[in-house]
Amino acid sequence: MKNGSLLGKARQSALLATALGVAALGSTDALAWSLEEAAAPYKGTTIRTVGEALPPLEAMDKLKSQFEERTGIKVVIEMYEHSEAVNKVMLDLNSKRGRYDFILQPHRELGRFVKSGHLESLEKYLNDTKLRDPSFKPEEQLYQGLWKEISWYEGKIYGFPFTALTMYMWYRDDLLNDPKEKSGFKAKYGYDLKPATNWKEYTDIAQWFTRPEKGFYGTAIQGKRHEALWYEWLNFLYSFGGDMLDTKSGSECGPVIVNSPEAVASLEYYKSLMAYSPADTLNYTWDDVMALMQQGKVYELIMWNDATYAVAEDRDASTVAGKMGFDLVPQGKGGKVGQVEGWTYLVPAYSKNKEAAYLFIQWMMEKSQQLNQHLNGGASARPDVYAHPDVQKISYSKASMDTNAVAKPKPTIPESPQITDILVRELSSYLSDAKGAQEALDTAAVEMSKLLGSCAPLKYPVQ
Amino acid sequence: MGAVLDRGTAPLLLVPSVILLLVILVGPFFYMVWTGFTDLHYALPGRDGSFVGFDNFRRLMQEDQIFWKSFLLTMKFVFWVVTIEFILGFALAMLLFHYIRQHRFILTLLLVPMMLAPVAVGLIWKLLLQGDLGMVTYYMRLIGIIDLRTAVMSNASLVMPAIMMIDVWQWTPFVTLVMLAGLLSLPKEPFEAAVMDGAGPVQVFRDVTLPLLRPIIALVMLLRGIDAFKEFDKVFILTGGGPGIATEMLSIYTFRINFKNWDLGYGAVSAFMVYLVVLIMCSIFYKAVYWNEGRAKPPKAGKS
Repeated sequence: MKNGSLLGKARQSALLATALGVAALGSTDALAWSLEEAAAPYKGTTIRTVGEALPPLEAMDKLKSQFEERTGIKVVIEMYEHSEAVNKVMLDLNSKRGRYDFILQPHRELGRFVKSGHLESLEKYLNDTKLRDPSFKPEEQLYQGLWKEISWYEGKIYGFPFTALTMYMWYRDDLLNDPKEKSGFKAKYGYDLKPATNWKEYTDIAQWFTRPEKGFYGTAIQGKRHEALWYEWLNFLYSFGGDMLDTKSGSECGPVIVNSPEAVASLEYYKSLMAYSPADTLNYTWDDVMALMQQGKVYELIMWNDATYAVAEDRDASTVAGKMGFDLVPQGKGGKVGQVEGWTYLVPAYSKNKEAAYLFIQWMMEKSQQLNQHLNGGASARPDVYAHPDVQKISYSKASMDTNAVAKPKPTIPESPQITDILVRELSSYLSDAKGAQEALDTAAVEMSKLLGSCAPLKYPVQ
Repeated sequence: MGAVLDRGTAPLLLVPSVILLLVILVGPFFYMVWTGFTDLHYALPGRDGSFVGFDNFRRLMQEDQIFWKSFLLTMKFVFWVVTIEFILGFALAMLLFHYIRQHRFILTLLLVPMMLAPVAVGLIWKLLLQGDLGMVTYYMRLIGIIDLRTAVMSNASLVMPAIMMIDVWQWTPFVTLVMLAGLLSLPKEPFEAAVMDGAGPVQVFRDVTLPLLRPIIALVMLLRGIDAFKEFDKVFILTGGGPGIATEMLSIYTFRINFKNWDLGYGAVSAFMVYLVVLIMCSIFYKAVYWNEGRAKPPKAGKS
């Protein structure tokens, strides 16, 4: 993580020192502490959570019975589609009903939850020797940059990563190694067919594999007016050397640069890929392109790591399992890039069972649970999980780790979801020919600047 | 009733219904209006519902171009779907009335689309118009209406006509049903008199059928107009308002303000505009029904 203010740095250092101190003091208690004893006062309670219906949450649903058996605390998990999971939480937090004892939310929501006083800082529980498992050392066991970006806000700890998400390139490894394809490609483009490392190669390969008469396409973009569009475009934006705000961390506000020449170039390039995408590409989200890949109808995509399992490993769901390859997003002016994204465990201020919720979260962050969740489609934030031999065997592990290493933060300030909404609308307008690239991004820049106020002047004048 | 309950006791029986209406209808409406005068925003700290006067109304009327685009798009949608549904529905009703004896069976078949939930209609048509595998897309390509590189839901110029067509498909049977009921309820005497006076079929239709059906026509157009103005489910399922803002109708835009951005103060004003337009539509159609018909005004309550 790129640090914010000096005050923030000092506060973070103090917190880490406290956390380490507690861990050190607790070392003699390591043998004495047990989950059963810590959970005894909460036996018989029911804790409820909500999240996105995807493999990581399904894996947690299967694991929870072990926790229930050991503690007598019942865990209820509600699963919804992405937007619905976010809306349910927003309504619950604002009504202050406390339906959910802990929540799983995308990290872009963090700022507005914290600033509205909806979240409980977890520092109190980390410092409580009765609750904290002495062997739980997030300051050592998690990817620090990722943890601080998606679960901290202004130097305070609010949660732990549920999924360490990022996007990278998916491609059909079997086709890439097909001798006929290799020779044909080389004859046409003058260089060897290999995973694209830059955007020109990405285009060439997409063009080569586009065969509409056979129902097969070089690529597919997630062009529907939906969050998926924004997330996907960010890979192009970062790779072309652009960004949305000129800031060093997600919790900062700063000048708007989303209409920079780099951003415009990235958007124009992004649209050019429509020529190698299926006709319905402007109606696709992540679900649609994932299904296309599972059905073997597309050669390469920029896609999420938490969707990879269902395509690359799940032989019941995918016709291309075992035939896939993965690599970093191709490089542009911005070099090697990826995006930090993640869903995070958070505890609402209105939860009636905060301690029991903390105990469950802490238990889920243990290596054995993380490993199990990861092997069943999760995306752990623990490096030791990635080092495990079983994880190393997974075809996408390397791409996931490489991308995490270069992933850039994105805004988590309270206005972040509105920024997303503005950009989704303007990107979609450009893709559907209602506006030019410069006009669309200028419109977005003006609206973002107006929304954020004096902290976010326009760096690039609007024409 | 009068024998059992006196005039003082009878109104008390209405109290539960009145309370229910106040709680679920009138109360929320006034709360919405009040919210429109505040800055309530669930997502931004500090926007806790302070009174801001007419700021939200001014912003909506003077600054929000997307609102006006959505408004115009919605009005166009209402105009086209109500017009097409009325013409097709009335024609079908006349056909059934005059030429098809077993119209009850045919009518039952015709009513199937109307009986489907709008969300189900959206999902069905999403599959039918799917750009790669959709059955309708396949036949459109087969007969050359669209090419291999075109998909209806991804094409800004085709998507709105397609949504209108789906609405027509779903709601024309409703118009047919109501118009047929109207035709069946008409007295025979005026038609017999007109024929005896030498009127042809066109004259009978223009001078007898249409005037007699006017209240039914106004009713069906009012109901369809209100419903079309509030259209949400199908568009939300099919396009989510996109591509761009090509299908962002007023209800979708209002939803976005309220439940995507959580700008509830501003969203309340947008929702209020939907209510206002529906109110104006009701008023216009009400006048259309009783236009030039003082004798046909509804009886005043309590005079029976």
